[in-house]
Amino acid sequence: MPVVGSVALSLGLGFSILTILILAFYLRTNDYRLYLTGQRSALGVSVLAIIATLVLINELLRSNFNVDYVAHYTSLETPWLYKFSALWAGQAGSLLFWLCILAVYTIIVIFLYRNRHRQLMPWILIVLTSVQLFFYILINFITNPFEPTSANFVVANGNGLNPLLQNVTMALHPPTLYLGFVGFSIPFAFAIAALITKETNPLWIRSIRRWSLVTWLFLSIGIILGGWWAYQELGWGGYWAWDPVENASFMPWLTATAFIHSIMIQEKKNMLRVWNMVLIILTFALSVFGTFLTRSGVLSSVHSFAESPLGPMFIDFVILILVVSTALIIWRLPVLKSRKRLESFTSRESGFLFNNVVFIVICFAVFWGTIFPIISEAVRGTKITVGPPFFNQVNVPIGLLLLFLTGVGPLLAWRRTSKQGFIKNFTIPIVAALIGLIIFFYLGFTGYVLVSMTLIVFVLVAILLEFYRGINARRRRFGENPAQALWRMIRKNRSRYGGYIVHLGIVFMFVGFVGAAFNQEKEFSLKPGESEHVGEYNFQLKNLREEERLNHYAWIADLRVSDTHGKFITNLHPEKRVYFFRNPDPDRRQPHSELDIYEGIIRDIYSVFTGIEVEKNTAYFKIMINPLVWWVWLGGYVLVFGALVSLWPSRRTI
Amino acid sequence: MASKNKFLFAIIGVVAVVVFWIYWVSVSSSADNPTLVRYLSIEELKDQNQTSRVKLGGIVKDGSIVISDSDLLDVTFLLEQGGETLPVRYYGTRPDLFKDGVEVILEGRYEDGIFIADQLQTKCASRYEGDLREENNSQSGEL
Repeated sequence: MPVVGSVALSLGLGFSILTILILAFYLRTNDYRLYLTGQRSALGVSVLAIIATLVLINELLRSNFNVDYVAHYTSLETPWLYKFSALWAGQAGSLLFWLCILAVYTIIVIFLYRNRHRQLMPWILIVLTSVQLFFYILINFITNPFEPTSANFVVANGNGLNPLLQNVTMALHPPTLYLGFVGFSIPFAFAIAALITKETNPLWIRSIRRWSLVTWLFLSIGIILGGWWAYQELGWGGYWAWDPVENASFMPWLTATAFIHSIMIQEKKNMLRVWNMVLIILTFALSVFGTFLTRSGVLSSVHSFAESPLGPMFIDFVILILVVSTALIIWRLPVLKSRKRLESFTSRESGFLFNNVVFIVICFAVFWGTIFPIISEAVRGTKITVGPPFFNQVNVPIGLLLLFLTGVGPLLAWRRTSKQGFIKNFTIPIVAALIGLIIFFYLGFTGYVLVSMTLIVFVLVAILLEFYRGINARRRRFGENPAQALWRMIRKNRSRYGGYIVHLGIVFMFVGFVGAAFNQEKEFSLKPGESEHVGEYNFQLKNLREEERLNHYAWIADLRVSDTHGKFITNLHPEKRVYFFRNPDPDRRQPHSELDIYEGIIRDIYSVFTGIEVEKNTAYFKIMINPLVWWVWLGGYVLVFGALVSLWPSRRTI
Repeated sequence: MASKNKFLFAIIGVVAVVVFWIYWVSVSSSADNPTLVRYLSIEELKDQNQTSRVKLGGIVKDGSIVISDSDLLDVTFLLEQGGETLPVRYYGTRPDLFKDGVEVILEGRYEDGIFIADQLQTKCASRYEGDLREENNSQSGEL
């Protein structure tokens, strides 16, 4: 069966070249039958990618260890869900998966837009097929997932998937992230097509606005799930470490967020057209760059980058994207230039503009910190690492500026905010923020924490005021009750209020970020019966149990958590596990700490069973008290909800 | 035109301030606030007799791991890299993959011939691709 996959990949490669040629020929001859052939051929290319992916999934589920990839990432004991998720556990599989998602998107684009965007479609398909071609080349020639296992030995059982990845969140995190990464190909293809055909009709902007939002939502969910997984599984007690892989997904998110803001200006005012092109192209380039960062091995060392042609090819592809797009933009500058100008600093437009500048600036800081070690190693030979303190120190003030703009933006009027409007909109939030500032100051908060909390109050009040005003206006005009008014107001203007809800989610997340300033951590050992204090909490080891389970052996600690007065709070059961414990070679056994968290609105109690000395009957723990982390996840849910409100199709948009 | 220039200046101003800010954070790296940390080889570390905070990479020498009798969290081992060895002491929770022969990345200080590490990460155990703590998508192409 794997041969079917290989054949599909080769055919896909051939057909993608053919598709591009046919469509190019159509553009010369204008014979519509040629276009239809090209479209059918593009469909074929996409279907072949999907077939290849299905074949690989089938091999993974069947545990066909004659395929190297299957032997490498799964074993017979691996539960089927994780056999499936091994599709994106390694390099070859994940590149195929990227291609597969792009193929699905291409098919959707063809069926949704073949009539609506007839002018643009040939170019859109050329761009999308070219991107597919790039991945077909990588998969066919450089890292083929159907590579057979070396012929000189028989594989009885595979390596298995790392236990850290055997987690439902981890099965979901890469695909959502990829759905986001790959999704930006579509706005990119539209942008290139619009540039080439000099399309000035803003209809296409509306089409890609929805795409961008959906894609942005996937990327956001992917990033949040990644943080959630790190928090639940890795045991260092945090959700974000600014490591290059996280940054790789964060950078396109930043430019995409800038884009979904500034595209509103183009839709409403037909302004910032050049800027939007730049943002679309940058977002797509960063998505490809992110895939490169995570998949080429460049992060471990420049040398491993040089060993495989994969990294250089990715870099070449990113450069190609940037060069061609920049040339196109410069070429079309006369068409793109807007005759309208920004009028005032105190306008919604300039609010958006500065929000954009801030997003780009954060993106630049993250980009710089991510590639600096690579550059310093390549140029000077010494590796300098950039740690979380750099990113935190750089980004905290810029992030707070962004939070401030989140509050200010919606309060500004389009074109220019009048003096009365200014007073009317800003008085209450500013007064609330000042009251907050005084209270927090007297409670003893200082520095960034104080600033953050003040800004949180400001933005929160600003958003709630928007809702309150909207509801009140409807109550007065239509005599509706508040719930009715809220419901109808949101229904009438989904994208606006959806956006506010997203902002609310961001504010909640900032509440969680502030909490990180008060984290407490302690490591200690306990014998059964003994107890230890961490902060205001007392931890007693009631019992140590052991259990043999299907694919691992576990020691389980029963920790009783109480407050300083001895009042019971919860029981925690962190575990120390050994996977592959039946393996006669002790080196192949895999220890794993399964942690346990008591989550709460005020703080999480986070327990890791770090080690055990069986002879001494002593267990080692790392305990952390993490205030307000819960709000980060709440913010995530609210953000997703808000984005869905914005996206929910109304009769008008269909 | 005046209005356009006004915005251009404002944007350029914001960007200039931030670029300076990034630069300032980079150069203000210190022991308490290690924004940038140098990654050295054992040889460089010994030659320069570095006392500032640095990163080291290498292999845990087979059979060199000694865990304290009184405290499981207290460990010493020998780090091998580029033909040199260096005694290392680390106190704290060790990654699950830490064992003989594994590649580790340490962060800490060199004091009187011993490297006192306060961060220890494992890299690339032969079974799995990449270090999961560093790369949470489980990728990295090298094996």
